[in-house]
Amino acid sequence: MLLGASLEILLRTNDVPAYLLPPPSAVWQALLRYGSELTRATLQTAIAATSGLLASAVIGGLSAVLLSAHPWIRRAFYPYAVFFQTVPIVAIAPMLVIWFGYGLKAIIAAAFIVSVFPIIANTLTGLLSTDPALRDLFRIYRASPLTTLLKLRIPSAVPHFLTGLRIASGLAVIGAIVGEFVADTFQDGGGIGTAVEIAIKEQKTDKVFAAVLMASLLGLGFFAVVNGLSQWALRRWRIAEISE
Amino acid sequence: MRIILTRIILASLLAFLAACSDQSESPSQPGLWKAGLQLNWVPEPEFGGYYAARDAAAFQAEGLEIDIRPGGPGVPGLQMVAANQVEFGITSADSLLVARARGADLVAIFALYQTFPEGIMVHAERGLKSIAEVFNGGTLAMEPGTPYYRMLERRYGLKQVRAVPYSNNLGPFLHDPSFAQQCFITAEPIAARRAGATPQVFPISEIGYNPYSGVIFTRRQLLAEHPERVAAFIRAVRGGWQAYLADPEPTNQAMHRLNPTMDPATFTEAAALQKPLILGDSSPARPLGTMELERWRTLAEQLRDLGLIERVEPEQAFVNPE
Repeated sequence: MLLGASLEILLRTNDVPAYLLPPPSAVWQALLRYGSELTRATLQTAIAATSGLLASAVIGGLSAVLLSAHPWIRRAFYPYAVFFQTVPIVAIAPMLVIWFGYGLKAIIAAAFIVSVFPIIANTLTGLLSTDPALRDLFRIYRASPLTTLLKLRIPSAVPHFLTGLRIASGLAVIGAIVGEFVADTFQDGGGIGTAVEIAIKEQKTDKVFAAVLMASLLGLGFFAVVNGLSQWALRRWRIAEISE
Repeated sequence: MRIILTRIILASLLAFLAACSDQSESPSQPGLWKAGLQLNWVPEPEFGGYYAARDAAAFQAEGLEIDIRPGGPGVPGLQMVAANQVEFGITSADSLLVARARGADLVAIFALYQTFPEGIMVHAERGLKSIAEVFNGGTLAMEPGTPYYRMLERRYGLKQVRAVPYSNNLGPFLHDPSFAQQCFITAEPIAARRAGATPQVFPISEIGYNPYSGVIFTRRQLLAEHPERVAAFIRAVRGGWQAYLADPEPTNQAMHRLNPTMDPATFTEAAALQKPLILGDSSPARPLGTMELERWRTLAEQLRDLGLIERVEPEQAFVNPE
């Protein structure tokens, strides 16, 4: 609030034209004026980002379990996971169109590619860094590797997995928007990425910022949901641990 | 391609920074007025006349030292000129009117393309007869938000076509026979033919939307303070274009060195293709780049009807210097 007010005063006293940098009040008005249009676009982007994030959670989580099975598997396949981290999404986004065609699939793929690595890396850390004392306990009781995985490794990896998910949630929104820049089918309106493109072309700087704000809100919403999920999941996990 | 583009962007950025620091110093050659011309793309035949003027020292002859700065995707020329970071820029008449409606007092001073050089490119095998038939099916790649996109959308609707973003990448077009895309009439069709396709082009001007393009613009304040400098600049530019239209090859070679990704044959072909768009069909021959109030008025009314601008003030938007 204070930040917005001081920016407003700064822009107005220095006479910065609105087409170069719109004051917060103009962005707020644009939010009101284009609210329904931007909300619809944001919800469309939310579908793609959610799907990409869910795919990341499932595939990333399972990959981490596989990678944790043996150091050799890690040596063979972890570099491929790192590849997903370093891939410049803007550069390969046009290829996604060739592979998946225009539309939701390519956009979900873009969201998936940028959001999967933090989940793999964090979950793997969790799976591998179990308490040595607990590991010894499982060995003493001659627990099978599967039992160790299910009862020890996976439960102790849950907090790490959720940290990864928290990082991935913001990235999935960015990935979906980049995907929309190249792959959105917009005959019925399109997502928030397309809304940004249109606002830039129409030189509506206030609408550009309003759209960017909506995208940030979407990221914030994802973060809140993951946070809530994590509190709920970790509470259950702790209760389960205590009752055992 | 991307690396080269990045290099060009970096190079132009460096040139820009160098120019910025130069402005505070005294001019290198006394008596010459230093100014910059920000292009909206990499060196290609659509800028041939400017490089021809530079190479023939036409700017110096008029007492000017013009720094031609190559652009690229996303270079905000309108904003750069409005913010006084560069003196002259290149845009299309519709973008200029929209920028004016947003509060930037910019004025057009020269219009290279008398006919709008954008079109819709389709595969000739589809046997389409008109632009309307493009909207009966298949995929259509366009930049959403351009005025002519709006006009096409309003006129033909997007119910039966799949609208997707346009990228500077011919892959999807070559890959899919039912794919149509917007194009620069003198660019993509040549490349598509090279790649083995048989493209057919419907010019946007056919639907009655025909803004001037390749328009040089500047700030009104500059025009008011130094009308003689602006006029001198336009004289040199016009001379450069006359020279380029007469014999484009020497300049094409110079531009090819700046933009090696475009091969010499494409330079030659594009230079020939754009000639009728530049000369126009005006029967009483007028000096190159001259603009008419009626054309600006028609455009402003079209943009108002599309809801992109509020007021129609075409007489404010342009000047034919001299």
